Amino acid sequence: MERADLLPLPATWDGRYVKDDSRLKLVLEHYDREQLPLRRYVGFLGVDVETAREIVQESFLRLHEHLLEGGDQTHLRGWLYRVAHNLTRNAQLAFRTKKTDRLEDATPTGDLAAADASIEDNLLARERIERFRRAMRELSQAQRECLVLRAQGLKYREIAEALHLSVSTVGENVQRGLERLKELL
Amino acid sequence: MTKQKHLTNELLVRSMDGELIEPEEACVQEHLAHCDECRKKYGEFQHTSIAVHSGLAAIPVASSLGERKNLQQKLEARQAIWQTKQTPERVMRRFGWGMAIAASLALAVVMMPKHKKESNAKQIVQAATTLANAIEAGGETFIPLPYSNPDLPVNASRIVEMQVPVSALSEAGIIVEPVSSRATVSDRSVLADVLMGTDGQPLGVHILE
Repeated sequence: MERADLLPLPATWDGRYVKDDSRLKLVLEHYDREQLPLRRYVGFLGVDVETAREIVQESFLRLHEHLLEGGDQTHLRGWLYRVAHNLTRNAQLAFRTKKTDRLEDATPTGDLAAADASIEDNLLARERIERFRRAMRELSQAQRECLVLRAQGLKYREIAEALHLSVSTVGENVQRGLERLKELL
Repeated sequence: MTKQKHLTNELLVRSMDGELIEPEEACVQEHLAHCDECRKKYGEFQHTSIAVHSGLAAIPVASSLGERKNLQQKLEARQAIWQTKQTPERVMRRFGWGMAIAASLALAVVMMPKHKKESNAKQIVQAATTLANAIEAGGETFIPLPYSNPDLPVNASRIVEMQVPVSALSEAGIIVEPVSSRATVSDRSVLADVLMGTDGQPLGVHILE
């Protein structure tokens, strides 16, 4: 059976090369939405700003790789935080980063420190942060991490995915953490 | 959970976080509407939550457009490398032959009833035989064309999306329209991914529409 008898040559067809960049776009969509909360979480875990920047970027590169390899797309947010969490812990172990609570160094330069805030307001903000900082140190590590991820907008299921915990354990940590903070703040 | 008993902290916190299922949430809201004590506790938890948000917002974070552009460039470079490495052999290694056979059978099941009534038995047998030898590449299942050279190396093959004449597919034993109406659709074409061999000739076809 001769080829020419069956099908026209492809050169005669109207063809074009396929460029599938849907996964790349998906990663960038997640980046636009999650990079700041993710950076805040990584910063909270206690690495410096530059390391946090590298970890966040590496997390999104790994997300892309995960998608290219046909990985599960149903819980990408939790997956992303888990990767960032593990990378942060690995970096702390590898480089012997001083594992301090990032809030120790936090200054009210974020939402609490609006550029036009008065000095008095600024002092009040500092005082509030200082109180919050002390209170957070009273919690267990799991309670702190659950509360921080919750504050970044993650649902319990996503927090569970990120921290390798069960959903019920996350709920318990959030509840106990809030109860303790309620007493301390 | 009745009006006489107070809500547990667990229920209050999970309600605040939107983690309750609908019937539980309705019960909590009904109770809160009548119980000052639980409402007060609920308010305290909300206040504590706001304090956590505010405290965390104080952590300095910054990003620039340059970082995003840098990430995009890295992603594009990695995607290009990945696409060149994505040979049929790698796909086979990852998904296994079982997946290919399952996909072939599924395709056969989907396509056969469509032509059962109007295509002749010989063509059905031919299509089924062809599907049993389906080629997996780039995450797609390709129906091998009759003149595909099985000895050709496929590690340098590529996938091209193109309009393929329906009549040409029919002649290759791939029926996308009932045989009886072929005459009326002779000028039609369908969008398909075509797996190109190293000799520049098509090895297989995956119909997209």
